[in-house]
Amino acid sequence: MKKSFAYPIIFMIVISAIFTFALAFLNQSTAEKIALNQEIELYRKILYIFNIDVPSEKPEDILETFRNNIGTLPYDDTIMYVHYGDNGEILGYAVPISGSGLWGTIEGYVGISSDYTTILGIDFTKQSETPGLGGRISEESFKEQFRGLDITNVIDGNYIIYKPAPGGNVDAIAGATLTSKSVSKIINEDLHSFLKERVRTDG
Amino acid sequence: MDSPKKIFKNGIWKENPVIVQIIGICSSLAVTNYMMNSLIMGLGLTFVTGLSSFVVSLIRNYTPKHIRMMVQVLIIAAFVIIVDIFLQAYMPEMSKALGPYVGLIITNCIIMGRAEAYAQQNPPLPSLLDGIASGLGYTLILLMISFVRELLGFGTIFGIKVLGDWWTPWTIMVMPPAAFFILAIIIWARNAIEEKEKDKKGEVAKS
Repeated sequence: MKKSFAYPIIFMIVISAIFTFALAFLNQSTAEKIALNQEIELYRKILYIFNIDVPSEKPEDILETFRNNIGTLPYDDTIMYVHYGDNGEILGYAVPISGSGLWGTIEGYVGISSDYTTILGIDFTKQSETPGLGGRISEESFKEQFRGLDITNVIDGNYIIYKPAPGGNVDAIAGATLTSKSVSKIINEDLHSFLKERVRTDG
Repeated sequence: MDSPKKIFKNGIWKENPVIVQIIGICSSLAVTNYMMNSLIMGLGLTFVTGLSSFVVSLIRNYTPKHIRMMVQVLIIAAFVIIVDIFLQAYMPEMSKALGPYVGLIITNCIIMGRAEAYAQQNPPLPSLLDGIASGLGYTLILLMISFVRELLGFGTIFGIKVLGDWWTPWTIMVMPPAAFFILAIIIWARNAIEEKEKDKKGEVAKS
């Protein structure tokens, strides 16, 4: 039987079908949970950017806080998040930023106050920089530096300048020069195009 | 049938996949910057190696010889995807930390090596144990490497600070090359111990 021509083919088809079926079932039964995990992760970051306190780390709390405070608006081909106050007034925008880092794409959001004068906060949704070096852009100590930066007196769209250069407002990460440079470049470019478009449409 | 004791001794010490057979090196260099990453990676690999060896052995008498590798890859891939989905659903943080390396378990030579070298000729139960033993051997080496790297590179063990603020982290330990040095030292130490034991046995036999 084993010598026959058809046996290996049938064997392979049967065994592929069994495993594919098992995996499809597993995928189906966890798809919702995985999608929810990713959503919660993003919401937590948006809330962090606007510096909104979450009562606890529980997914339900994050979801509820997000729904009560945040809305979305179309921006370019994607969406940006908007922080609404208690009376429905706009308090700030979280604008998507992206660009290439040292090893791969860096993606994230930067929060801008509604009068376009201040950076509210920043967070990264995707980065594959060296853990412990460039990867530290995801750490609080780096991200907290961006809170409340004044961007009214900026020359040539250089919103982020690393110290100790003249006009420097943020500390780069020691040992991760290339990642730091990429981050400032991404923020400066994407923020510039956002502000240009906004200021034009508003005034 | 091999005794479980012999199987485990082989997998962990005598034929340890990483430091004796020198396979599965890629991931042992890549994910050993934190002990937690190493532990999860090791457990993932142990799970995949054990169960894929088990299944390969279970159907070994029905598998046509010339397509056996195709079948093995299919089985291994299926278990790797299970691990990947499990991490994404229940340990999203860990899934993010390990990134593409979970998917790359599939290309880890240890798994296919055990399937070819052991599971193809042995009954299911010893094959399962053999896979687990090899996986544990891999995990232990990963933990040893990451212990040194995390301690010197971050001053922490499993994320808990053990060295105070006076400690200056060694940047080199965070980068992949550090794993090369540590791995080489472990291989050297293991060979030295093995040589000594051989000498001892030789002397006993002579006298």
